[in-house]
Amino acid sequence: MSHLLRAFPAFLRVSIQAMLQYRGEILLWCMWGIVNPTVLYVMWSAATRGAPDGKIAGLDQNGFAVYYFFLLIVGHLTAAWDVYNMSYLVRKGQLSPLLLRPILPMWESLSSNLAYKITTLMFAAPMWLIFILITQPSFQTEWWQVGLGTIALLLGAALNYMLCYTVALVAFWTTKLDAVGEIYFGLGMLLGGRMAPVDALPPYLQIASELLPFKWMFAFPVEVLAGMRDDVNSVTRGLLIQAVWVVLVVMVFRMGWHLAVKRYSAVSG
Amino acid sequence: MAQIEVEHLGKTFKVPEREAGLVASIGSLFRRRYRDVRAVDDINFTVDAGEIVGFLGPNGAGKTTTLKMLSGLLHPTAGEARVLGHTPWKREADYLRRISMLMGQRSQLQWDLPAIDSFYMHGAVYDIPKADYQQTLDELVELLAIGPVLKKQVRTLSLGERMKCEICASLLHRPAVLFLDEPTIGVDVEMQARIRSFIGQYNRNHGATIILTSHYMADVTALCKRIIVIDQGQLLFDGSLAALSQKMAPFKVIKIDLDLKCDDYPFAEIGEVISCDDRKVELKVPKAEAAAATAKLLTDLSVLDLTIEDPPIEDVIKQVFGGRTQRDDAEATETAGASA
Amino acid sequence: MSRAFSLMLLFARISVQNFAAYRADFFLRGIMSLVQLAAELIVVDTIFHNTETLAGWRLPHMLVLVGVYRMVAGGIRIYIVPNMRRVLEDIREGTLDFVLLKPVNSQLLVSIREFVFWRMTDLIYGGTAAAIGASMLAQDIGVKQIATFVFMLAAGFAIIYSVWLALATVGFWFIRVQNIEMVFWNVFEAGRFPVMIYPYWVQWSLTFLVPLAFITTFPAGTLLADPATGVPAAAPYYAAGIAVVSVLLSSWFWRFGLKHYSGASA
Repeated sequence: MSHLLRAFPAFLRVSIQAMLQYRGEILLWCMWGIVNPTVLYVMWSAATRGAPDGKIAGLDQNGFAVYYFFLLIVGHLTAAWDVYNMSYLVRKGQLSPLLLRPILPMWESLSSNLAYKITTLMFAAPMWLIFILITQPSFQTEWWQVGLGTIALLLGAALNYMLCYTVALVAFWTTKLDAVGEIYFGLGMLLGGRMAPVDALPPYLQIASELLPFKWMFAFPVEVLAGMRDDVNSVTRGLLIQAVWVVLVVMVFRMGWHLAVKRYSAVSG
Repeated sequence: MAQIEVEHLGKTFKVPEREAGLVASIGSLFRRRYRDVRAVDDINFTVDAGEIVGFLGPNGAGKTTTLKMLSGLLHPTAGEARVLGHTPWKREADYLRRISMLMGQRSQLQWDLPAIDSFYMHGAVYDIPKADYQQTLDELVELLAIGPVLKKQVRTLSLGERMKCEICASLLHRPAVLFLDEPTIGVDVEMQARIRSFIGQYNRNHGATIILTSHYMADVTALCKRIIVIDQGQLLFDGSLAALSQKMAPFKVIKIDLDLKCDDYPFAEIGEVISCDDRKVELKVPKAEAAAATAKLLTDLSVLDLTIEDPPIEDVIKQVFGGRTQRDDAEATETAGASA
Repeated sequence: MSRAFSLMLLFARISVQNFAAYRADFFLRGIMSLVQLAAELIVVDTIFHNTETLAGWRLPHMLVLVGVYRMVAGGIRIYIVPNMRRVLEDIREGTLDFVLLKPVNSQLLVSIREFVFWRMTDLIYGGTAAAIGASMLAQDIGVKQIATFVFMLAAGFAIIYSVWLALATVGFWFIRVQNIEMVFWNVFEAGRFPVMIYPYWVQWSLTFLVPLAFITTFPAGTLLADPATGVPAAAPYYAAGIAVVSVLLSSWFWRFGLKHYSGASA
């Protein structure tokens, strides 16, 4: 553990420097997290104009502005992409040197994940401000919702990171990880409250959304932060469900990692 | 007849500078400082048709930069060059059709396809008539013995096999001038020898002019009658291999077998001690003093056997690049001598 | 010109030949492309689960748009993205040198080396979705309309190609731009919806600055020829103009980038 405490800050430092090295790229990455929610906000606010009472799933145009503002933040801070990276590492044999280190390769990936979020913040935050300036939302969030929402955001980030990394382990068995990655992101999009708030989904998607962890990564933190959940009990229950999912995924990861390394050493020698 | 003429050729790169550390890297986000690096600095030489010339020099000496300028990939910042009567960096199709460049560290073959498909595309891109294409391909496939691997995906080939396919691809259009940048890098010794002999054969059969860079002295000693030494962008030497030894290494290696062990004899006063192993001693002595030194050793000691040899070319090169503080040709020679 | 075309055919032929080697992937990929279409249809379903019209576009209109979107996305994946991805890779790895050594126009060569044959499925699925949407409107679609539609698709394709060539050229300065593709798809995603949903100034930018309107919304609109969609009748003329300008500009930018690459501008 103390070893990790020494190694991790070093990883993080190096990752941040690596990120800073490529200024053009940072800008590009940042745009990536901004365009999609913005487009969807515009689409839904246009859709409210066609809806009978100007509301969709209880949200009017302002409601969607608030919702997608927080989704910008949540989407940025919960991002994870190992499901794409891993197959590259395995195929190019770059995992071997990582496995030789006396530390789980995940820590290094986590450090570059955090480094990305930290370094891009200085580009992303102004974008969030511009979003507010243009859409002029009026917030109804109360302080306790900010507090619990932040916790929900951290748990959501942990859940997405862990599940993404765990799913990425599939790379040890198949080279078709890209398809898996696309499905993973697609499900997060459709069921996680990114394409539309969960309440606006048709019934068949709502059921799927209840059964899978995606809405606990994105939709739940956004709903709490946007002040859409007034009931403290329902929020704490949500946090608990998030925590259970995290624990569950960590357990699956530990088993999966063990098998994956065994497989790797058997196959690639 | 001169096929390659290079006059005062120079290339200066602007390289961004950055100090280590977090603060510095944040700073470099906003403003970058540049430093001029002279990769190639006022180089002159000519190469005649059919010659094989070896470029020698340490990493970063400017060998690859020079080759890239001659093949039209880089614009020089100074000077002129004419190859086959063309200015390379105009990149005229007529010029490109008559040259080839092989980069040992990079692959021009399509990774996912069998080599034969890459060759076929190459034929189309160079607009080689069908009959010529088939004839050249058959000849190269036979000489390089790559028949069995033609239909395998390039990614599955061994490094040596791949390199032979790379060579095949770069010769399909029968280039008159060939730039080979590290053609044997990474392949095993036996394969190196085969590639080497193939290059020699191609040169003899087709009279192609070849410029070759290599880390392996064996490549150069086997193929090149003429050597050009470049260091820090400047031309240090241009001449035959023998002259290189003569000029760059005006010292001899004296090897003696002694009757008795003589640990306290001051060998260091006679020359640089290369090795002193029990009763065998190797000394490096300036050429002019070799005779005197031999005489002195024979009088002072009871010598069983004594030989005087030229130093191996590898050592000569090492010596030259070791004394790189002096840039001037003559001075470099002097340094090599003085440190001996 | 005929040389260019024969080279193009040659590269395509070799890709198709080698496609046999990846037969196992074909089914997975065919399914994936169907899944993508399904996801897009789900989005449309979700929208019209909540509202009747999206800036004047109703369900059948949106089906046509989704179909066009899929077809264009397919076209991009068949030809444009794989080639430009390879250019970026070549620039990064230094293997672009081999392209420059060839006695063929470099822009032509980097644009035709890859051909992702199996993505044709996108054209089929997308075409089907568009046809179903159009037939739901139960109005006659004449030959002239279809011809204009095909012309609009071609112009859109030329525009996208130019955008991508310009993006790949940026790789000469910023070497590590592999994520440029993600950015592209995100911007392109704005084309999933009719540009009429955006505020006026965004609409204007998406028409003239980043001519996304010409890639999906306008082709779909010309096929429908329904004033409710808000697609201007003069769209084909604009499309022709913008296509020509963007092809010329991007080609100039590529040559400029090449000069930088070989150090001629320094």
